[in-house]
Amino acid sequence: MNLQVVGCSHHDTPIAVRERLAFSADQTRSALRQYREEFPAMEAALLSTCNRVEFYTASEHAPCPAAPQIAEFLARFHGLEPATIAEHLRLRAGEEAARHLFTVAASLDSMVVGEPQILSQVKLAYQLAGEEGSTGPLLHAAFQAAMRAAKRVAGETSIQQRRVSIPSVAVADFAQQIFERFDDKHTLVIGAGEMAEETLQYLKDQGSRNVTVVNRSPDRAADLARRWGGRTRPWEDLLAAVADADLVISTTGAQEPIVTLQQFLAIERTRPARPLFILDLAVPRDFEPAIGDRPEVYLYSVDDLREACEGNRRLRDKELPAALRIVQQETDRFMADLHHRTSGPIIRRLKEGWEKPKEEELRRLLNKLPDLDDRSKAEIREAFDRLINKLLHPPLESLRDESRHGIPSALVDALARLFRLKD
Amino acid sequence: MLSRISVICFAASYGVTLALEVTRLLFRSGVRGALMLGFAGAGLVAHSIFLGYRWLETPPGATPLSNAMDWCLVAAWVLVVFYLYVMCYHPRTSIGLFILPLALALIGVARFVAKYRPFPREAHSKVWGLIHAGSILLGSVAVLIGFASGLMYLRQARRLKHKLSPRKGLRLPSLEWLQKTNSRTLTLALLMIGLGILSGIMLNAANYGGPSGWLPWDDPVVLSTAMMFGWLFVWTAIGMAYRPAREGRRVAYHTLVSFLFLALVLAMVLSGMTQHGGVRQ
Repeated sequence: MNLQVVGCSHHDTPIAVRERLAFSADQTRSALRQYREEFPAMEAALLSTCNRVEFYTASEHAPCPAAPQIAEFLARFHGLEPATIAEHLRLRAGEEAARHLFTVAASLDSMVVGEPQILSQVKLAYQLAGEEGSTGPLLHAAFQAAMRAAKRVAGETSIQQRRVSIPSVAVADFAQQIFERFDDKHTLVIGAGEMAEETLQYLKDQGSRNVTVVNRSPDRAADLARRWGGRTRPWEDLLAAVADADLVISTTGAQEPIVTLQQFLAIERTRPARPLFILDLAVPRDFEPAIGDRPEVYLYSVDDLREACEGNRRLRDKELPAALRIVQQETDRFMADLHHRTSGPIIRRLKEGWEKPKEEELRRLLNKLPDLDDRSKAEIREAFDRLINKLLHPPLESLRDESRHGIPSALVDALARLFRLKD
Repeated sequence: MLSRISVICFAASYGVTLALEVTRLLFRSGVRGALMLGFAGAGLVAHSIFLGYRWLETPPGATPLSNAMDWCLVAAWVLVVFYLYVMCYHPRTSIGLFILPLALALIGVARFVAKYRPFPREAHSKVWGLIHAGSILLGSVAVLIGFASGLMYLRQARRLKHKLSPRKGLRLPSLEWLQKTNSRTLTLALLMIGLGILSGIMLNAANYGGPSGWLPWDDPVVLSTAMMFGWLFVWTAIGMAYRPAREGRRVAYHTLVSFLFLALVLAMVLSGMTQHGGVRQ
């Protein structure tokens, strides 16, 4: 039973290397096909995200290819020199590989711990491998267990509910608490900062579709609007655009507020009675803070959200040990099942070895009692089956217990000798 | 065996559900949601069977579920149905903390008014009586749901205004959902209480000269119900004409005041200062 992972991640590999090693979905399929041609006895799955590239291999009997072989394969696929990537690739084998997969799936190894996208990326990697026929019993078991571990971490801890980046907190902890849905809401972006784009990404994930961009530079506004499928309005329409909006994300570099309280009061009367969410990510601020005191206005600045982010980070750190405990429990369970698989043949032979004398004794007994009706015969047969199961239960339980500490070779050997079980 | 179901059975189920809701504030659990749905669902089944038996036990010629106790129990039943409906769509929210105490309070009132005589019914006023009781019941439940969602709105709006992260365990529906619920319950309450008053007038006219006698127009329950309707009507009219009156916070306050009027009506019924709906034995 061999399981290993060779790969690199954001922890110790620069983005320049990760970019060169990254696989698209089509490339993943192609790489898995090529790998199976070279190593037909191997199971394989490839997880490629912006933060990691990891190649999982497994085999029930044959040893997995060594790390340099995997490095050579990955380098050849991307047309790179193996030496340029080998130093970045890390090998994990056996229990360490399983624990790593579970930690990744549970989003405990992510750059932003608790971000939910990684689980769907792990599922996609598993699905692609399944479609290419490169998964087998070991990887099936490992990925199923990884998803179970991720589900437990999500359900039994609040680690995935604790957002720690300002845009994610703004959307998850505030915007989603104000609006029930986003597909019918109007989002206004003022300026073209990076954080505005990140916020837009979170809003788009929630279904936001109607985006308007207002910027002093029409070209930059048009560029941002094109990328997000939105439209632009001239800078002179700023106040009218605010009046039309449900969500405002502002990130200009202005030194003075671009919307004062007086200006807001003038447009407030033209707005229907509905909430207005303003995310002011600019420093200095774009919206005069007193606007936040107006009814139906929920105004958040970077400082307001930073405090929430820090609070979430502290709470998340408190939950981390519990999440790691769950990962360890699932790893132990997976490894015990894996070790128990090695005793499968001996268990089968043990059962077969007892089945034969049982059948002989049954036949003898039933021959001596020819007057028995079918019901009585069935009862006797069931009694014999129960007896065999009860006799087999202690050695099988001992095997299972022993599997928790590793492959139960000594016990398997002892059973084979005690009961004269031969291949 | 089913006939042995008592008020205590389903009240206890709702009580356990409420206790489980409270534990959301203390710790996380993967099975609590299913347990809550299980207890609330079991309570609702017992509650339905109890009301079904009460219906079947109605003496021949009498109107089913036509006394103060049954009225309260049916109102509580509607509240629990609403709770379960919302829990299916917003399973992570703590809406039960606001709805279940109201349902339990109604069950408590039902026990208190168990000795009240059935509402008087003559054959010729039976239809008006049913319309009157049903519409007032639906209007009252709408006011109760509006009260609960108004409280949730104010709690949620306060948190968002103060820029506080959601408290562990106390997750509430979005402001948009709460505001819609508030507005809809107020509209429903206005229509149902209006229909209740109208059918009450017809009922009173039908009873004029009959054995039950008629209810004076200055009866405290009639007056307080009329005041509640007046409040609902005036505020709805203002809301249609004046934009700031439609703001979420004002609508939430509107629901709270409507609840106070409903509490006043209930207090009049419980105090025995009224001839409405029969008198205590």
